[in-house]
Amino acid sequence: MASPLATVSSFVEGAPPGEMLLPVLLPPAILDLFTEAICLDIKALTIDTPSLASQLGPAFEKYNEEQFATVKLPGSSQSVIVSSYNSLGDGRYYDVESSSSFVFDHSTQKASGVQSHVLESRQSDLVKSLLKSLSTHVKEHYPSASCGVYPIEDDSQIAAVVVANKYSPNNFWNGRWRSLYIFSPSSSSLTGSIKVDVHYYEDGNVRLLTTKPVSASVSSASASTIIREITVAEKKYQEEINKGFNNLSETAFKGLRRQLPITRQKIEWDKIAGYRLGQDIGGGSSKR
Amino acid sequence: MAEVDQFDSALDLLRRLDPKHTSEHLNSLISLVPSLTEDLLSSVDQPLTIARCRTTGRDYLLCDYNRDGDSYRSPWSGEFETPLGGQGLGGVDDQGNNEGAGEGAVPSERVRDMEVRANEAFDVYRELYYEGGVSSVYFWNLDDGFAGVVLLKKVATPSGKSEGTWDSIHVFEAVDRARTAHYKLTSTVILHLSTGNDNLGEMDLSGNMTRQIESDLPVEDDTSHIANIGKLVEDMELKMRNLLQEVYFGKAKDVVGDLRSIASLTEANRDKATHQEMINSMKR
Repeated sequence: MASPLATVSSFVEGAPPGEMLLPVLLPPAILDLFTEAICLDIKALTIDTPSLASQLGPAFEKYNEEQFATVKLPGSSQSVIVSSYNSLGDGRYYDVESSSSFVFDHSTQKASGVQSHVLESRQSDLVKSLLKSLSTHVKEHYPSASCGVYPIEDDSQIAAVVVANKYSPNNFWNGRWRSLYIFSPSSSSLTGSIKVDVHYYEDGNVRLLTTKPVSASVSSASASTIIREITVAEKKYQEEINKGFNNLSETAFKGLRRQLPITRQKIEWDKIAGYRLGQDIGGGSSKR
Repeated sequence: MAEVDQFDSALDLLRRLDPKHTSEHLNSLISLVPSLTEDLLSSVDQPLTIARCRTTGRDYLLCDYNRDGDSYRSPWSGEFETPLGGQGLGGVDDQGNNEGAGEGAVPSERVRDMEVRANEAFDVYRELYYEGGVSSVYFWNLDDGFAGVVLLKKVATPSGKSEGTWDSIHVFEAVDRARTAHYKLTSTVILHLSTGNDNLGEMDLSGNMTRQIESDLPVEDDTSHIANIGKLVEDMELKMRNLLQEVYFGKAKDVVGDLRSIASLTEANRDKATHQEMINSMKR
């Protein structure tokens, strides 16, 4: 059996978009409606072993880095990304756009200790032009999103990250779109993944989880070529998701339960004892 | 007090974590806080398991309401069986006790007679609406009436990688009054859908929704009870099917569109501005 810490860590890992902490960004009047979040649930469930909650640091860090957590730096209105690709270690992350680094508290999701951070990389020109093109692309297709571009693996690759969140806890739904692209100049290849996570929880719990690996070859190592591939991949994928919804609705969902019996009439329950399977009901059961 | 909070927290957690893995999360919660075991098992709906009745050879559904220890009662034979390899038959022991499912585990003769007829009726209902699948109905006695659960399960594998599973769990109470009965129905549908291919990758749309209604309906005899419950369940399932359709294929899809716009936002905003300008010029 899993240890209590592993169990609680798995709860952290499974948190839907925007439901780890209380929605601090909401106005107080609305915030009063919410007294629960994954973190508070865990606190209540481990009240007899408070040391458990204090050991969740690594789980929060993993969650925030994998989910591309975003945070507003003190005195700035722009959200910056927290990921393994822009980590400097010891809880410090950097942002290329603002040439700064900051300390991120993974349990409260707050930033502090902002310092100047100048990008030092052999790829810094490509990183900066890619960031500019990616920002333009993001503004064209995401009403509210953050993005980042970082050199990784000792300057041998470049990671481009996009995350879009939409939280509507007063309507009981939240959503997140994540795109990750890794460009390798040596092989002129672009690989990565797109993930969508939508949670609806009014008198229920409904979750959309999608994941799609991306793989493309890029003809030249220029920002505009890379962004063109990203634009094509994302457009194609979003159209596929919409097709997926239609496909599930038309095949899997319809194959489970009819809206009405084949007679197009509700059952006459007073006569149900007289119904006999395979007869008397308009041939509706001939498929069996 | 702390226990009540813990129970609420456990339910809140289950409402947030991936509904495709509710049973695993439930087991995790039980191992974390063992004192919540009974309360959680009796209030959290899980996908239904199918077993085959040893006496009649017909499939039936397992849930907490026909369980007694490791045994489950078949609705077709009325007998307890150990389909999951448990030890010993459940039901009433020689002292007249039945552990696990409580006093109601074995219905009285009158209620069992209604249960038999309800199983026949919902077997017809299942065929008309599900064209396959498995149904089971379990009744138990209450001091001032009776209660029961109507279960329906269907698995669909239409083609390729698409999959679908539907589990309906309708728990009701029928309290007798003069010439009427007061019915209280709590219905949960657990619906898992998934599909995938090279262009799409993996797409999983899973969840559960719960709704409640109360209703007073005329009762002449025990047959009326079955017709009343049948109508309530039929109306509720129609309502919930529509609701699921709206949430799964309407709301979820809309949220994806809210996160990312296929069309260029500049163009969309320009169109909007042009539209507004036209409206303004017409007002002048």
